[in-house]
Amino acid sequence: MRLSSWLPIAVLSALTVSDAATRPRYGGTLRVEMRAAPSALDPAAADADPLRSLVFETLVRLDEAGAPQPCLALSWQHDATAKRWQFNLRPAVKFHDGSPLTAAAVVPSLQAALPAMTVAAAGDTVTIRANHPLPDLLLDLAHNGWLDTGPFRSAAFEPGRHATFAANEDYWGGRPFLDAIDVQLGRGLRDQLADLELGKVDVVEVGPTDLRRASDHGRAIWASAAVSLIALAFAPAPDRSDAPRLREALALSIDRAAMHTVLLQKQGEISAALLPQWISGYAFAFPTAPDLPRARALAAALAPAARTLTLTYDPSLRAARSLAERVAVNARDAGLTVQVSPQNPHADVRLVEVRLRSLDPAQALAGIAAALSLQAPAAPDAAPSPAALYESERKLLDGFRAIPLFQLPVLYGAASRVRVYAPPPITRLGDWRFDNVWLSGTAP
Amino acid sequence: MTFRTRLLIAFALTVIVAVAFVGAIVSTTTQRAFERVDEQRVSALTAQFRQELLRRKQEIAEHVKEIAEADSTRDMVIALSRPDADPSVYVDAAEPLAAAHNLDFLELVSASGSIVSSAQWPARFLYQEDLVAQRDDWNSQQPFLKREDLPTDTALALISVRVASVGDSKLYVIGGEDLDRDFLSSFVLPAGMRALLFREPQSIVGVSGPVPQTAALAPLIDDLRKQRTEVTRTVQWTADAASAETFHAIPLIGPAKDPGSPKDPAGAELMGAFLVGSSRAVEVELERFLRRVEILVAMGGILLALLVAFWTTARITRPVEALAAGARAVAAGDWRTQVDVRASGEIGALAAAFNQMTRELLEQRDRLVQAERVAAWRELARRLAHELKNPLFPLQITVENLQRARAAYPEEFDEVFRESTATLLAELGKLRGIVGRFSDFAKMPQPQLETVDLNNLVRDSLKLFEAQMQAAGVTLRLDLAADLRAIQADPGQLGRALQNLVLNAIDAMPSGGALAIRTAAHDGGVRLEVSDTGQGLTQEECDRLFTPYYTTKTHGTGLGLAIVQSVISDHGGKIAVRSEPGKGTAFVIDLA
Repeated sequence: MRLSSWLPIAVLSALTVSDAATRPRYGGTLRVEMRAAPSALDPAAADADPLRSLVFETLVRLDEAGAPQPCLALSWQHDATAKRWQFNLRPAVKFHDGSPLTAAAVVPSLQAALPAMTVAAAGDTVTIRANHPLPDLLLDLAHNGWLDTGPFRSAAFEPGRHATFAANEDYWGGRPFLDAIDVQLGRGLRDQLADLELGKVDVVEVGPTDLRRASDHGRAIWASAAVSLIALAFAPAPDRSDAPRLREALALSIDRAAMHTVLLQKQGEISAALLPQWISGYAFAFPTAPDLPRARALAAALAPAARTLTLTYDPSLRAARSLAERVAVNARDAGLTVQVSPQNPHADVRLVEVRLRSLDPAQALAGIAAALSLQAPAAPDAAPSPAALYESERKLLDGFRAIPLFQLPVLYGAASRVRVYAPPPITRLGDWRFDNVWLSGTAP
Repeated sequence: MTFRTRLLIAFALTVIVAVAFVGAIVSTTTQRAFERVDEQRVSALTAQFRQELLRRKQEIAEHVKEIAEADSTRDMVIALSRPDADPSVYVDAAEPLAAAHNLDFLELVSASGSIVSSAQWPARFLYQEDLVAQRDDWNSQQPFLKREDLPTDTALALISVRVASVGDSKLYVIGGEDLDRDFLSSFVLPAGMRALLFREPQSIVGVSGPVPQTAALAPLIDDLRKQRTEVTRTVQWTADAASAETFHAIPLIGPAKDPGSPKDPAGAELMGAFLVGSSRAVEVELERFLRRVEILVAMGGILLALLVAFWTTARITRPVEALAAGARAVAAGDWRTQVDVRASGEIGALAAAFNQMTRELLEQRDRLVQAERVAAWRELARRLAHELKNPLFPLQITVENLQRARAAYPEEFDEVFRESTATLLAELGKLRGIVGRFSDFAKMPQPQLETVDLNNLVRDSLKLFEAQMQAAGVTLRLDLAADLRAIQADPGQLGRALQNLVLNAIDAMPSGGALAIRTAAHDGGVRLEVSDTGQGLTQEECDRLFTPYYTTKTHGTGLGLAIVQSVISDHGGKIAVRSEPGKGTAFVIDLA
């Protein structure tokens, strides 16, 4: 059963239970565990997700459809050329230190986040100007210019180990139901699941292979959109003349469907594209079916010594080992030998997981290309058309230096006492929205 | 070769042959004993292997049956039989089941042959397992050998297949164990033996892991592949004979390819072999030790043989050598030789007899010498009387004539006196001549040796007789060796001796004949031969020819040949005569 079928059921279950049982109640500490172990609570850092969304906010946020909605900015307008924008700040918003949110206070953060633009304050408005049109400024502002006005404030932070967040009593959106959130950092997926089963934690990250187990005993599964690309990335080394043939043979030997069905329990989607279908709209155009005869022919044309590859993976990635071993089995059918070993810095190819960081297709593609060490397309002046984006992505995938396999959602398992007042607790990109989460009963 | 050497060789050969014979027997017996023990140990180990294999088959069959009959498996069959079955639910099911039942291999295969879960290769889910389609009666089949593909290797597995059925739905349970070093470690091995497992195509493992240097085992493996029966071969790992190891290989055959003909050895596949290795090191070392002992014993025996030989020869050959030395001394003329042999038995008797012989020879020689001396004196007296009688009778007649003439014819006395005194003086001269010759013979001077060319001496001596020979009608034949070496001799004496022989030869041929003189090298010295074609001599005459005053002629003193013999003897040579009546005479002189 696909997750897309599960999600409404999970949500509906949560709502039904909440309606049937009790109304939301204040209080309690939500216990969370996560694999990432950020060394600082820096909203601009690459590993700031998902903690950032507990503490920081932007002027604009994106809804489930990806449309910009007011957040700290209540409204906005721009001139005809979209070179000058003006944002009206939400009143009665306070920073965590108690100081009021003013345009003047906002400008430094915004200017630092948007160095190519001119940010100025005028009363309660913030003006942003540039020499060129800024049609995607709202998307930018949804991901940049973080201000510590979030529903929770940082109460304690041990880099890489533990973080505690307390409810922001003066939150403009209303005090969160939770008194605090306690987050254990750097915890492996198996340990998280075990803790969830033992009742030691309320919310954990879930790997696709553990979905069934995580959803036992009335536990809920929260899922983002397919924002996590699982791909094979070749090391950026000088090419031998037969290397493209080798990569293509490997790419054509992979049976994604079997892996998706069995190992990933049909989570997410099979993909041969860098961007997920729901962002690009053209992912289906990249063929995903294996072509074993052609793969064998390509492999047979290689010298025997050239048919061997080393594949490495990060054991902390979800289902990484199983996927890597399955790739090796498929490659063997094509006449290639793939030696699998974890955390091998000298491996020819890596099984990687790359998170989507932006809902903007071009920005997302650039981010993924950079993560896979592919030559990123030149940043366009204007938003590229889908055809142009498709072409860019196709060029990136020429040569098979990256072999996309799947687009997976970020999954969280929630204990039965965790209730959600207003869905969803996880954004489409996988960020946390715990301001409407509450706990029923007491901690076991 | 001396008696001592022969005795030593005989003793040594006896010892060596005896030691070699005993050594061969001991080596052969030892080798056979080792082979018997080896056979017994191999048989025991082979039986142990077969028993262990049978036990493991039973164990595997039980475990697989347990899994096939478990409730969880039944549930799996039911779940997988549904149209919307999700095989991913059970993708990890095999591993814990395998661990729980101590199986190295476990695969759960759907009715369609698709792998649901694999413990040994988890990533092979949804791959086809062709094995299950080979038979319909898996539940009655015994475990069998199978090559099991693994991610990085190929294993030799003992596999059992069971079908878990619920209604028409079924699930294949394929479980088994790896025949690897753990399997080998279950065997109790005597010292010097080891067990290896050969797995096709090329892997050989022992208890400690892969065996290096398998090239030496290649011929054994080749034999195994050809014959597919138990084979035995000895492998030499290094140049040292002690590294040899005898391997007994028991083939491990997979199931027949045609299920309809299970007894199809040609169709069945050779999966591998159980190799029992028996080190030959102890045996080789023992053989070496035995050989060293043999050599030591042989050397000791030879030493003993030497000692015994020396001791024995000392007791036997020394007396014999003493006797031989004594005999040589006697032959050289020392008849007073006595051998001092303190031996008993025959050797002692021989020595005593030898001493007795020399004493008696001495006495006899003394008596003979005395007799010959007496005879020689008698002969000398006879010859002297004969020689003296002739001149003395005329002397007596002449004195009597003088007396008669003085008495009867005084007037004629002066003339008679003159004639008579002349006769007296002539006869007295003859007497002086006779005395002179006797004196010459008595005091023969020592030869004055100098280097002499014998051929020239012969030629010079013959010149004196040319006229005489011509007058006598004697022809001369000279046969003088051209490369005759010079000799040390007194030319005068030797020449006179030769002249005497030539004269005798001429005298022996009054009617003419042939005189032959020959010189030749002989036995390191020279030989001079003077032969004639005269009337010859009898044996008795030959025996007495060199006796002083013995002569066959009507004239002469009979001292000529005695003087020749004396001259030749003084030169260290010898003279012999060879003659037959009517066939001439030959004198042979050998000089050093």
